Amino acid sequence: MGKRLAICAVAQIKNHPNYHYLRFQNMLLECFEPIMKQTNVTFDMEKGIRTIITCSDDMFDARTISDNGITDVVGAHFRGEEKMAQESINGLGYAMACILSGHDDVILFMGHCKESQGESRRMISNLAYDPFYCRPLGMDYHNVDAFQARTYMEKSKVTDKHLAKIVVRSRKNGKKNPYARENKIIDEKEVMNSPMYSDPLRELYIYPVTDWAYGMLLCSEERAHEFTKNPVWITGYGSCMDRYFLGDRDLASNFSLKNAAKRAYAMADITNPRKDIQLFELSDHAAYQLPMWAEGVGIADECQGGRWIDEDGMDKFNVNLSGGQLNGNPLLLGGAARAIECYYQLANQAGDRQVRGAKRAVAQAATGGAGQHQAVIVMEGQGG
Amino acid sequence: MAEYWGIKVEDIFNSMQERFRPEGAKDVNAVFGYDIKDEGKWKLTVKNNSMVIEKTDSLSGCIATMAADGETFVGVNTGKVDATNAFMSGKFKVEGDMVLFGKTGRLFRKFVIAKKKMTVKDYLADMFATVAPRFKAGEAEGLDASFAFDLGGPDGGKWTVFIKDKTCTVTTTIEGKPTVTLEFNDAKDYVDFILGKIDAHSILAAGKAAAKGDINMMASKWPILFEKYKDPMAGDVTEQELLVLKKTISLNQNFSTGPIMGKFLKGLKDKKIYANQCPQCGRLQLPPREVCAECRVRAGDFVEVGPKGEIRYMDVVYYAMPDPLTGVARETPYGSIFILLDGCQGNETLTHFIRKDQIEKIQMGWNEKKGTRVRPVWEENRIADIWDIKYFEIDE
Repeated sequence: MGKRLAICAVAQIKNHPNYHYLRFQNMLLECFEPIMKQTNVTFDMEKGIRTIITCSDDMFDARTISDNGITDVVGAHFRGEEKMAQESINGLGYAMACILSGHDDVILFMGHCKESQGESRRMISNLAYDPFYCRPLGMDYHNVDAFQARTYMEKSKVTDKHLAKIVVRSRKNGKKNPYARENKIIDEKEVMNSPMYSDPLRELYIYPVTDWAYGMLLCSEERAHEFTKNPVWITGYGSCMDRYFLGDRDLASNFSLKNAAKRAYAMADITNPRKDIQLFELSDHAAYQLPMWAEGVGIADECQGGRWIDEDGMDKFNVNLSGGQLNGNPLLLGGAARAIECYYQLANQAGDRQVRGAKRAVAQAATGGAGQHQAVIVMEGQGG
Repeated sequence: MAEYWGIKVEDIFNSMQERFRPEGAKDVNAVFGYDIKDEGKWKLTVKNNSMVIEKTDSLSGCIATMAADGETFVGVNTGKVDATNAFMSGKFKVEGDMVLFGKTGRLFRKFVIAKKKMTVKDYLADMFATVAPRFKAGEAEGLDASFAFDLGGPDGGKWTVFIKDKTCTVTTTIEGKPTVTLEFNDAKDYVDFILGKIDAHSILAAGKAAAKGDINMMASKWPILFEKYKDPMAGDVTEQELLVLKKTISLNQNFSTGPIMGKFLKGLKDKKIYANQCPQCGRLQLPPREVCAECRVRAGDFVEVGPKGEIRYMDVVYYAMPDPLTGVARETPYGSIFILLDGCQGNETLTHFIRKDQIEKIQMGWNEKKGTRVRPVWEENRIADIWDIKYFEIDE
């Protein structure tokens, strides 16, 4: 096994529909302080934090260089600070590159998104597209996801009822997660009666608007003991960018996820994910993505997503016990939320959701419409 | 020189260079002659995708020569005279290589007859006369709005465009309370703006125009309700391939103050200026922030400072951007100041504006040197925002 990266501590605030009484600086501060307290890490230039990686988005914050507004509350003044303006999971990949290359050995990784601040997240994701072609054609992540949903559902025989089942389960799992967004427990019928947004995606098939922030302390293997007795390791990371234009892509092929997973598994010496990994946190921006990404990371058979749900694949492989993005994480931060859940599980701190004897976990997340960019990380606990 | 349809023979030759199409000259390497009766002789040399036209005495060496009278030559070049008929009836002749001469037709863009120049007044008349024909009734479902135009300057005037029950009417007055009013100090700027010669931002920034009322109605709805104005002087310009899309991206936001900035703004409402203090290093922060970034601890204790103080830095802004939250242009020049309020020290300064007529009297302070003493002038109706202080003025 090659070198690995330690997660020494994690902190988060509860996922919330609208922290109207806080600005995102307040949200971050609530995560910054627990990390300092748990680890006794300092900002000493010799031995402390010299590099801070943050994750945020200009469009959601409505200010350019969105990290500029938060450097004080993440301790970044007079230190190196870099921003990941993509899925937070890539911040972990970035931190890994930074530490394994020897550039630095302790990194504070913080992220925030106040999705409730903007009037419309669809208008924001519409701005991800070019102004001449895709924008005027009305593309945003919801209706772009809907293209993929249709294609994938037909290919893998996933039905409306399957999607409803995923949503109901997500909310039940969310109830066991003290940091999950508080959502009403609903039945499948209610889910299937929710308004149609972009056929086949109904309102409740899509993750709800959510505000959230998190923090993580990452360091090299050699220094982990200084900050925790119980580190969780990142042993593999892989990412892949698919084509930008939807028309260039085979939307149901899982092309980029398969590539990302392959690279992460190779790095972590995983040959059979079904046997080697005990839990999976997958990035379900919309319900159809859960079986689709399950195929992509290799725990559901190709084109068998529907059957996989019928045969309780979600519980068999311990998928999204946190409630998943579907229960509510802001866009771009789902990957950090997935990794944090894996951390709790592998550190044996997952309470009612704890998977006994979990040694390895996979966190996956996607950026862009229809899972264009994919990243996968493999994590291991002390027993691994 | 005689004129035909207002055009001289020389106009045709003199404009050849700018009408020349190199793509039409790819397989042409030749010298052509033009012998125009009573006008003179011209020699056109086409070589290596470029051309030279010159008036000459001798047309020797030309591979083909055209001979015609002035009227026929101008007529054929401007489309007033049918070329085939003129040729068949012998009004113009070609001697030499006729096939090669035929290729000269591809060498030039069409000669366009220059139109009379339109004045600002002509444009305004045309622009408002075409408002109703350019109206797209289908986009006005349920809309009851009026757009007023108050255009100043010698050629200016007032117009109101009413939209109701999917019909559009235009008056040359402004009455009642329009939904939105667009004011231009000089109507010429409005004409240039509509013709795309200047952009809205620079006019607004320079304080030459203002929009009052429902600005969004003008910025977002007008372009949907009306077809774009076509400049009658623009002529037959070929469609460009390099296009620029002008668009305002707007997305409503709910910015939360959080408890710290909230306390500061609430203080202004009560005519109090609050800083907060770092429990470790003791420095004050204005405006207050959640943490002391230097000590990395919460800075919770509020301290009332000022309201008087001395000026440390000042800048005079002459070219201002519009207020991003209202779109209204700031009046220039204005003096932006950093004030060291009483009770603060070092760089613990507050930023605001100085009273307009006092800009010239301000002395900046640094180190031990004292700057001009100032005091805040409070707004009567305060709403807990930074403009609860109208500005600072010299404390005499």
